[in-house]
Amino acid sequence: MFRKYMRPTKTMASQLKRRPQQTPALSTPLFARLEENLSAIKQTLGNPQDLIVRPFTIDNASQACAVVCIDGLVDSDLINDKVVKHIQLMLPASGKTLPPPGEEMLTFLLNEVLSTIEVKRETTFEAMYDRVLAGDTALFVDGAAQTILIDSRGWETRSIDEPVSEGLVRGPREGFTENIRDNTMLVRRRVRDCQLRFDTMTVGRRSKTDLIIAYMQDIAHPAIVQEVKRRLATIDVDEVEESGFIEQWIEDDFLSPFPQCQVTERPDKVASALFQGRVAILLDGSPMGLIVPVTLSVMLHSPEDFYERWIVGTLARMLRYIAAFLAVFSPALYVALVTYHPGLIPSDLAFSIAATREGVPFPAFVEALLMVATMELLQEAGLRLPKPIGQTVGIVGGLVIGESAVSAGLVSPVMVIVVALTAIASFAIPAYNLALTFRMIRFGVMFAAAVFGLYGVVLTFIAIFIHLANLTSLGVPYLTPFAPQLLHDWKDLVLRAPVTFMRKRPETAQPTDDTRMKTGDAP
Amino acid sequence: MNNVSYADQKIGSREMVIIIANAVIGVGILTFPRSIADETDAFDGWISVLIAGAAACLIGWLLGRLASRFPNHTFFEYVALIAGRPFAYLLTLLFGVYSTLLASFEIRAVGNIAKQYLFTTTPVEMITLAFLLIVQYAAAGSRIALLRLNLLFLPIVLLVIFMVQVYTLRFLEWENVRPFFSSDWMSLLKGAKGVGLSLSGSEIVLFYTVLMRRPQDAPKSVIAGLAIPILLYMTIYMLVIGVFSPAVAKNLTYPTIELAKGVEVPGGFIERVESLFFTIWIMTIFNTCTIWFDLALSTLRSMFTRLSKFAWILILSPIVYLIAMTPQNLIQFFAFGDRLSYFGAVIAYVIPVLLLAIAKLRGVKDSG
Repeated sequence: MFRKYMRPTKTMASQLKRRPQQTPALSTPLFARLEENLSAIKQTLGNPQDLIVRPFTIDNASQACAVVCIDGLVDSDLINDKVVKHIQLMLPASGKTLPPPGEEMLTFLLNEVLSTIEVKRETTFEAMYDRVLAGDTALFVDGAAQTILIDSRGWETRSIDEPVSEGLVRGPREGFTENIRDNTMLVRRRVRDCQLRFDTMTVGRRSKTDLIIAYMQDIAHPAIVQEVKRRLATIDVDEVEESGFIEQWIEDDFLSPFPQCQVTERPDKVASALFQGRVAILLDGSPMGLIVPVTLSVMLHSPEDFYERWIVGTLARMLRYIAAFLAVFSPALYVALVTYHPGLIPSDLAFSIAATREGVPFPAFVEALLMVATMELLQEAGLRLPKPIGQTVGIVGGLVIGESAVSAGLVSPVMVIVVALTAIASFAIPAYNLALTFRMIRFGVMFAAAVFGLYGVVLTFIAIFIHLANLTSLGVPYLTPFAPQLLHDWKDLVLRAPVTFMRKRPETAQPTDDTRMKTGDAP
Repeated sequence: MNNVSYADQKIGSREMVIIIANAVIGVGILTFPRSIADETDAFDGWISVLIAGAAACLIGWLLGRLASRFPNHTFFEYVALIAGRPFAYLLTLLFGVYSTLLASFEIRAVGNIAKQYLFTTTPVEMITLAFLLIVQYAAAGSRIALLRLNLLFLPIVLLVIFMVQVYTLRFLEWENVRPFFSSDWMSLLKGAKGVGLSLSGSEIVLFYTVLMRRPQDAPKSVIAGLAIPILLYMTIYMLVIGVFSPAVAKNLTYPTIELAKGVEVPGGFIERVESLFFTIWIMTIFNTCTIWFDLALSTLRSMFTRLSKFAWILILSPIVYLIAMTPQNLIQFFAFGDRLSYFGAVIAYVIPVLLLAIAKLRGVKDSG
C-alpha cells in the first residue's frame, strides 16, 4: 500500500530536475583580457574579504598576470614559494628566453616554471569557480582565454583523534576526521591492495561535496556496488551536510525504525567491511562513514570481538544479544508481570514487589512510562550540555531523581532497577543508531504489555521480527544469516569462532572472491 | 536489485524442512496425548504415534513427489495439467476454503489457550483479534519473509520444549507406564488416526515447492520436516503418560502445557512456567497460522487474479475472524477441528495422491 511512498528518490529527483539550471553566465568561456576576468570574478563572488586577487607582471611589465584564490582554503606558503616566487624571482634569474605574451606564455609557465604536482588547464568560468572554491589557486595570464589551476588546498583541519562514539579498550585509536583526504589515507593505510577502489563523485547542487565510494574491486559483488552508485546518483539537492543525509537517501525503507546503513568513525571497521565485500561511503565534511549492506547481527558486533581472543569475543557477543533483548523488552516485561501475571513471579518476590508498590498511586504502566521517559530526558539533556555540566545531569538525574522518586512514593524501587538495567543494556549496543531504534520500540512494547500482558509482549516480538524479515539493506535481507540461513556465516555470529577457523569470507554480502585464507596456511 | 543471488525469492531445502516442521507443530501437539489416551491403554500409544508418523511420512513423500514433478508450476497450474481446468478450479477453491478454516482454527486456539493460561477476564474476541492483526501484518509482507520467520521461531520453540522435557523427566513414574502391549490393534489404529490428524501440515509442500531453489529435494525435505514433529510427539507422549498416567491424561484439555507446570526454574526465578511456555508457543502457532493464511491468499489469488493481495487480506480477515468466533465452547471447537481434519484428509491427501497416480499413468510431466 505504501509502495509509492517508499521510494522518494525517483519522484523527488525528477521534481528537482524540473527546476531551472543555475545562471548561464557560469558556463561561458573565460575572457582573453585579464581585467575582464578579474572584474567578472569579483562581481560573481561579491568581492568578499577572503578573496585574494594578486596581480603582478613579468618580463619587464610586458606580461600582466594574476593569481586568484580564497584566503583560508589555500596553503599560502605553497603559493608564495612555488608559484609567485618562481615566476617573479627565479624566472628572470634563470635567463630563459620568454615566449610572446598570451597563450604561449601560459603554456610556458605551466610546463617549465610551476613546480607543483597538481596543475590543470581550464577554459570556463564554471570549472574555474569549482576548483577555486574548493581551495585551488587560479593563475591568469593576460591575453590567454585560459587559466592554470594549481592545487593548493591547505586549510586548518582537526587532527586525527580517538573515535568518540566508538571507544575500545583494545584496538586502534584513530578515528575519521572531517577531511576526506585524511579518511581515505586512514583506509588506504589498512588496505594496501591495488584492488581497493575509491570512486569519487560530487553530491549537492550547491554544496558540491566530495563523496567517495570505497570497495574492493575483486571482492565486492558488482551488483551491490552498482546499486550503491545508482542510488547515490539520484541524490539531487542543494546541500549535503553530513553522511546521515546520504544514508536517508539511499536506504531501502524510510518507514522502518531500523537503520539500514552502518555508521562508523573507525577506519578499522571500514577496512574489515571492505574485506567482507561490503561498500563504504565517505563524505567530505563528515567524520562518519557509511557501510552498506548491513544486517542486524553486524550492528551488534564490535571490532573488539576480533581483537580479543575468541572466548572473550564469544562471551561478549552473547552478552550483547541479551542486552539487545533487555534494552527493548525489560520495562515491558515488568509491566506485564506486575499487572497481569503476578503468579509468574516467585511468591516471595511478588509479595515484596507488592509491598514496595504499596504507596505508589499509579498503575505499573504509568510508573514505567514515567521512569523511562525521564531516562530519555536525562540522556537527551546530558548529550546537549557541555561535558562538565553533563556529569551533573547524570548525578542529579540518576541519584537525586531516582532516589527521591522512590522515597516520595512516586515509583517503586524495583522499577528504578528495571529502568537502570534497560538504560545500561542499551548502552551496551555498539551501534548508536541501533540503540536509538531500541529506545523507540521500547515504548511500543510497553504499551502492548499494558494492554495484553505477556501475550502483548510476544505479539510485538513477533511483529518486530515480521518487520525485520521484510526489511532489506540494499537488497540484502536484514536478518541474514539467521533468515535466510547461511550456516557458514554462523561461525561469526553469536559465537565467534577462532580466527583460524574462518577460511572463507562471510557470505552475507556475496563476495565474488570468498577465500580469506588458503587452505593449509593456517597453523 | 534482485541480482544479488540470495536476495532471490527462493527457499533452500534445509529451510523447507524447517517450514514443514513448523507447519505441523501447532495446536495439535498440545492436545494429542489426550486423544491417544482416550483410545489406547497404558503406554501403548507410542505404537500409534509410530504408525501415524509412518503414514504421514509416506503421504508427505508422495505429495512431495507430485509437487516436484512440476517444479515450475503453481498448484492450480499442475492440477489443471493433470485433471483439466474445471477440476483445478474446484480443488484449488476447496484448498482455499480448507486453508481459511485452518487459519481460523489456529487463531481461535490461541484465543482459547491464552484465556485459560494467561488471562481469564479478557474476552476471547479481543485476544483473537490482536493475533489476527499480527497475522495480517505478516501476510501483507513478502511471502519469502513470511516463510523465513519460521527459521527464526522454530529454534526458540524447540529449545523451550526440549527444556520442558528435560525438567519433567524426574517426575516419570514407572507405575504409570505399565503394563506394556495391553491394547488391541483396533484401538491402536484409532489412536493413530487421532495423532495422524494432528500431524497434518505437510500438504503445504504442494504449494511451496515452486518457491524452492531445488524442487527435486521436496520429497526428502518433507520426510525430514516430519521427522522433527514425530520425534517430539513421541517424547511428549511418553512423558505425558509417564508423568500423569493415562487416566489423568484423558481428562486434561492441554496435556502438553500441563507438562510444563512441573518445571521449576533453578533458583525459583520464575513460577508457573506453563504460562511462559504457552507464551513462547504462540510463536509456532503464529507460524502455522500465517502459512495457512498465506496459502488461503495465494490459492484464491491464483484463481481470481484481478484483486490485489492487500484487497484479499481485507476480504479474508473478517471471514477468518467470524469463522474463528463461531464455536461457542471447547467441545464445539474441538469438533470443528476434527471435522476440518477429515475434510483436509480428503482434499489434501487422498485427491493429490490420486492425482499423482493419474499423472504417472498418463505420463504428465513438467513441460518447461
